[in-house]
Amino acid sequence: MLDILLPILIFSALALAAIGAVRRIRLWRQGRPSPVPVLRGLAAVPRRYLVDLHHVVARDKVMSNTHVATAGGFVAAMALAIVVHGLGLAEGVLGWLLLAASATMFAGSLFVARRRRDPPARLSKGPWMRLPKSLMAFSLGIFAVTLPAVGVLPADAGGWLVAVLLAAVVAWGLAELVFGMTWGGPMKHAFAGALHLAFHRRPTRFSVKRGGEGRSTGLKALDLDDADAPLGVEKPADFTWNQLLGFDACVQCGRCEAVCPAFAAGQPLNPKKLVQDMVVGMVGGSDARYAGSPYPGKPVGEHAGDPHGPIVAREGTALVDAETLWSCTTCRACVEECPMMIEHVDAIVDMRRFLTLERGETPNKGAEVLDNLIATDNPGGFDPGSRLHWAADLDLPLIADRGEAEVLLWLGDGVFDMRNQRTLRSLVKVLRAARVDFAVLGNEERDSGDVARRLGDEATFQRLARRNIATLSQYRFDRIVTCDPHSFHVLKNEYGALGGDYEVFHHSTYLHTLIEAGALSITPTALGRVTYHDPCYLGRYNGEYAAPRAVLEALGVELVEMARSGYRSRCCGGGGGAPITDVPGKQRIPDMRMNDVRETGAELVAVGCPQCTAMLEGVVAEDRAEIKDIAELVAAALGDDATPAPAASDTRRTTEEVMG
Amino acid sequence: MSDIVRRDPRKEWIARNRLHPEHFAVLAELGGEGASPSEWIGPSGLIRRNPRAVGFIGPNGIKRIDRSGGQRGAQAAQGRRSQAGPTRRSVAIEEPAFLIAVVPDLAGGRLSSHDRDLLGLARQLADADPERPGAVLALTFGSHKETAFGDAGIDRLMAFDEAIFDGYAPEARLAALQAVERELAPRHWLLPDSSLGGGELGRRLAVRLGERAATQVWQVEADAEAPSGWRCTARASAGANDLRRPLPRVALALAECAEPVSETHHAARPLTLSQPLPEAFTRIEDGGAVAVDPAGVALAEAEFILSAGNGVRDWDAYHHAARTLGATEGASRVAVDDGFMPRDRQVGATGTWVTARVYVAVGISGAIQHLQGIQRCDKVVAINLDPGCDMIKRADLAVIGDAGAILEALVARVERERQGAEEQRDVA
Amino acid sequence: MSHDTTKQASGGLDVAVLVSVGRHPLTARARRADHDARAVELALGLEAARVRLIHAGRNDPDSEAALRDYLGMGFASLTRIDQPAGADVLPALLEALREAAPQLLFTGSRAETGEGSGLLPYLLGEALGWPVVTGIAAVESVEGGTATLLQALPRGQRRRLRVRLPALISVDEAGPAPRQSAYGPARRGTLSAETRPAETDDALAGWTLEPARARPKRLKIVKASSARERFKAAAAKAEGGGGQVLTDVTPEQGAEAIFTLLKEEGVLRH
Repeated sequence: MLDILLPILIFSALALAAIGAVRRIRLWRQGRPSPVPVLRGLAAVPRRYLVDLHHVVARDKVMSNTHVATAGGFVAAMALAIVVHGLGLAEGVLGWLLLAASATMFAGSLFVARRRRDPPARLSKGPWMRLPKSLMAFSLGIFAVTLPAVGVLPADAGGWLVAVLLAAVVAWGLAELVFGMTWGGPMKHAFAGALHLAFHRRPTRFSVKRGGEGRSTGLKALDLDDADAPLGVEKPADFTWNQLLGFDACVQCGRCEAVCPAFAAGQPLNPKKLVQDMVVGMVGGSDARYAGSPYPGKPVGEHAGDPHGPIVAREGTALVDAETLWSCTTCRACVEECPMMIEHVDAIVDMRRFLTLERGETPNKGAEVLDNLIATDNPGGFDPGSRLHWAADLDLPLIADRGEAEVLLWLGDGVFDMRNQRTLRSLVKVLRAARVDFAVLGNEERDSGDVARRLGDEATFQRLARRNIATLSQYRFDRIVTCDPHSFHVLKNEYGALGGDYEVFHHSTYLHTLIEAGALSITPTALGRVTYHDPCYLGRYNGEYAAPRAVLEALGVELVEMARSGYRSRCCGGGGGAPITDVPGKQRIPDMRMNDVRETGAELVAVGCPQCTAMLEGVVAEDRAEIKDIAELVAAALGDDATPAPAASDTRRTTEEVMG
Repeated sequence: MSDIVRRDPRKEWIARNRLHPEHFAVLAELGGEGASPSEWIGPSGLIRRNPRAVGFIGPNGIKRIDRSGGQRGAQAAQGRRSQAGPTRRSVAIEEPAFLIAVVPDLAGGRLSSHDRDLLGLARQLADADPERPGAVLALTFGSHKETAFGDAGIDRLMAFDEAIFDGYAPEARLAALQAVERELAPRHWLLPDSSLGGGELGRRLAVRLGERAATQVWQVEADAEAPSGWRCTARASAGANDLRRPLPRVALALAECAEPVSETHHAARPLTLSQPLPEAFTRIEDGGAVAVDPAGVALAEAEFILSAGNGVRDWDAYHHAARTLGATEGASRVAVDDGFMPRDRQVGATGTWVTARVYVAVGISGAIQHLQGIQRCDKVVAINLDPGCDMIKRADLAVIGDAGAILEALVARVERERQGAEEQRDVA
Repeated sequence: MSHDTTKQASGGLDVAVLVSVGRHPLTARARRADHDARAVELALGLEAARVRLIHAGRNDPDSEAALRDYLGMGFASLTRIDQPAGADVLPALLEALREAAPQLLFTGSRAETGEGSGLLPYLLGEALGWPVVTGIAAVESVEGGTATLLQALPRGQRRRLRVRLPALISVDEAGPAPRQSAYGPARRGTLSAETRPAETDDALAGWTLEPARARPKRLKIVKASSARERFKAAAAKAEGGGGQVLTDVTPEQGAEAIFTLLKEEGVLRH
């Protein structure tokens, strides 16, 4: 009897899944068009899955093995079951293989079940709680119905009652794992996830066989010349279709929630919930069925939306509240951690763009900062003619006077901040000690546009960027060095789309090359226990974790790492305009970061970002660790006899030799 | 008593000669009635000396001993004291060749420094030709407490103190000025260019008279080529430019446009219009003052800020102090982060840049961002426990001690002062 | 999307706002003028009002960008009365306003370019025969031909005024902070040009306009009647250079010192 039932079950499940797939694809196609290479994308799925995605999943060894067993077992079992039971080709080894596959899957599902017994808060509950049972039903059912096929049991063992029972169990498993894959349910992630990998909007973030960085972190530019192009995302259907596909791929594992600094600080943001809300919006309905952690302070069930309705309401509630979007520090911890490679930050900035460009609703001091950027080219509204006042005594060489330099020192808006001026002085001292041929733009420099862009003001960003690019094009230099990771990221990764391609170094990287080349004589000094705080825009955005540590090592520092460092470094709270929009939470992000520091027992935190310096130094606590920029530490290790004399003209050649 | 010191060479000689029989008598005479001799012959014939009586207290409060014998300190000091108040020359202009009309703001019922500067300017215009001096005519509206109009350089004073001029009554005031124009036709009209006083009234007047007023005038110089004989420099383009033009009949001048009158005293003779004022048609009605909580005033506008930081323990007492002092509340970042103060009260580079005249920092140690935010404050007062903190270095006045106790004492002091003032008012 | 369309539906009050091209005090870049933007914000806060923007001035790219900043506050269009450089815009404005006949006219208190004398609101009021009220911070209500307004006094104090319509309301820095100008509506909005006769401002052309000179700081003049006092004044230590620090004082002494300073500065109210 099973011979008749099983093929019917399998093929009807497949047919229903196919119908579901068409429906699902239609949902995604509500989004705006975004051309993708279909065949090449599909062909890249195995590698993207096995290498890039696995790389992320493998950070949790138990879960990784569980997933390999369960998913691998399922894919093999399903394929074999179609052959063995669907087509009735049970000959030879196939049946045994099917038994092995379902057994492996069962073993995996046991681990899934164990994890679901007392799940961590970040995991979604609801339908996800039945998944281990469904997995077991499928694997056990298939295992049992295969036993007669390989001849271990007689074909009619157990009689018709057992056969119907088994068929029911298999049907349950098929319903969850095949039908549910496209009609919604926990297994949706497999279908949507595979296609998301194929049609990802940032194909360059995946590794390729030839090697290369496999990184893509710059925000995508809006086309402002096209008057009909939407300015950001107002409604779910304004996302591109592959962004919607990406949201649909979410497996609700909550890794993003666990690393999100805003969520931890009690600000109303949870990246997982945000992605789920986008799915709710794409399908239409309310978030009442969401079974994970809510946005802090915002109960589930009060928000609803539809594909063509606004995401953020002008008054009252819609899908998401504006303050949720403005809580993000754009630290990319969620993106770094997401096993489904979802781009949360892109989505948030897209929605911010609409709020700023169309509605003019940048909250708190956002509007003032943007006005200042427009009128004075710096966020503080300072006289742009006073950019070099801090360095009146340093006699910095202006590139306008010389036309060229080996290193263009990009000072950033820190020139207006008294704290950052100390860092800049140190950096200048170090560069002079190393006899680097450098020059600055002086009053010709403008804000890089980072803050404007993260606040959603693409127009101001592009205006600033284009002017900076025009200025830079007048001069010849080999590379740009900056001590601001935000400028670094924007100059390096975001000016390219507007026609500015430069070799850009963060000062820690550049100092490292100077030390490697022996251009600096360093006297290691005792600094006690030191820890290093990775700036998001240097680490996660640009993958530079090693150079700052190498510099600290060269200083003879006893480096202790915080529990969250490297790619898991916790944000200082200063990125993405978060201090400007200033959404209240239960605690402050920098306070949490300084607690991380305290746990290491370090007396000093080395940083490499003016924003981090300001945020962490703003923490008021008893026995707070000292905060020093890497440039300051290097400058101190040079001693006082390293005369900061302007580099003589004939030293340029020697510097080049050293650099070469 | 005459101020002129008459010298008697003979007596001075005797005073210097300690052996002269009349020495003591002369000394006593020269030293004045109050001066006691430092040496005298006692009943037993011995010379007695009072060392404390030697010398005199000099004008700067230091004891001086004059061996020349003429201990004239006391007398000299007395003489000088009577000279101390600089005497003003009295000026009375009986037949003025022309009139310069000034409408002072009388903010708070008294001539403000802006008004005095303006009157100084009016005097310049009136006194330019000593042969044909003009008179400065001041027009006041409503009741006032000013008594020294003459010292400010006013020759004629016309008071419009009817009830219709009280409060915000631009139409009635304009009608009065028009009546003055008709009857007296002053050569120039000068008004202080203040936002809600002369600045407004002056513009209304200029428009009514059909004159293109010079506004924001900060300098007036003689210029023979100009029709009025004067040319002025005025701020234009919201302060970005200077406009130089001949001085028109109506000018609205900024504070410090001229030096106030300090050497002369003028008659400030009352003057009235011969015709009664016509009934003015009013379309603007003053509904009276609306109570506003100083704590609610925007930080950037506030001129007196009481700012609280980490060192404040008793927040109720702090709020009470701010209310009593009439200060706008500010806060350091920490106080805001800890939830004691709302975010819009945060002072500093990351909060609001403030421009207060007086900034009192209570228990704020002075993070660099905070100090940046108060750069443009005139006077900074710090109350802090830690004498080494950066705020103390910035402060013009720093009191080291417990913030709570000092605030309490300050509140008590202010309340005492206020009570005193009220009692005085009652007596008066 | 735009405020004016929603407000038009309900009918009611006709409001016009005169806007000008401002200039940033540090960089001199063209922008929306601060006072005018506050006037627009005040007008946008009115219930059931049709708000229209009117500008009279030169037509050049810089001013267009600045005028679009007003559109970015949520307007679909702005009427621009084209006038040549150096024109007196008063006659053209008067003509336009007589045609438009708004019940309330809002203006900033003075322009940020040119003469900027702040006379224009009064000239318009005089010529139209409307009452002019200045320094308005809020409109409480407009009912039965009368507007109830709050006028800003120093130190954040307010005074209630009632004024008969039609009236001219001028707004200065005490007006409400203008909303952010959004790029999208600014880009989409239209500047509808109107041509009206222009009159040259001959008087202004005859005067000199130059970058503002720093005003001399007033010196403390000491009327010394003796050599000693003159010497003392000349030799007096310059102010500043480290303030006075009171350590080991009782709270009362400390409070007294602060009290004296507050009195001297005149910030204590009586």
